[in-house]
Amino acid sequence: MSFEPEELSREEVQQKVEETIANNEVALFMKGTELMPQCGYSRKALGLIGQYRDEVATVNVLTATEAYREALAEYSDRETIPQTFVDGEFVGGSDILEQLDENGDLEETLTV
Amino acid sequence: MDAADVEAIIEESLPNAAATVTTPRDPDDDSHYAVEVVSPAFEDKSLVDQHQLVHDALGEHLTRDIHAIELRTETPE
Repeated sequence: MSFEPEELSREEVQQKVEETIANNEVALFMKGTELMPQCGYSRKALGLIGQYRDEVATVNVLTATEAYREALAEYSDRETIPQTFVDGEFVGGSDILEQLDENGDLEETLTV
Repeated sequence: MDAADVEAIIEESLPNAAATVTTPRDPDDDSHYAVEVVSPAFEDKSLVDQHQLVHDALGEHLTRDIHAIELRTETPE
């Protein structure tokens, strides 16, 4: 079973990315939703953040994947998903979150 | 593109890099790779910048031929 939401326009996606990064302490752009991640890396990122944060704004990029890749690259210089932003700054994908957690730095990184 | 190609691309573009690329899911999986890179180029760089060097090396291959990499970057001891 697949669920195909209506594609957003490029302008709508750019606006969504800008607002989400600007208005949330922690934002995660992921494949799927918080309740149903659609990719193991997105699920991993969500779980790592969830250890230290109850509140995280998530955006499902699968609603317009290519437009999200382009829009996010403006902020992070990369097109891979997931992408985590804290206080407007790009922090990394799931590997960087994992490495920060192993080093004991993730909680502080997620604290605004 | 297989694991050896990914290694070669990274080692070609990063100074003195040693890359180890494996396929964690299935030996025939040609779109998910685990990548470990050791290079002096990572010294004094943040994790984001270290990962960026590897992403830049892979360029267009990433997200097109390669679905995802699990990446670890380290500096030589």
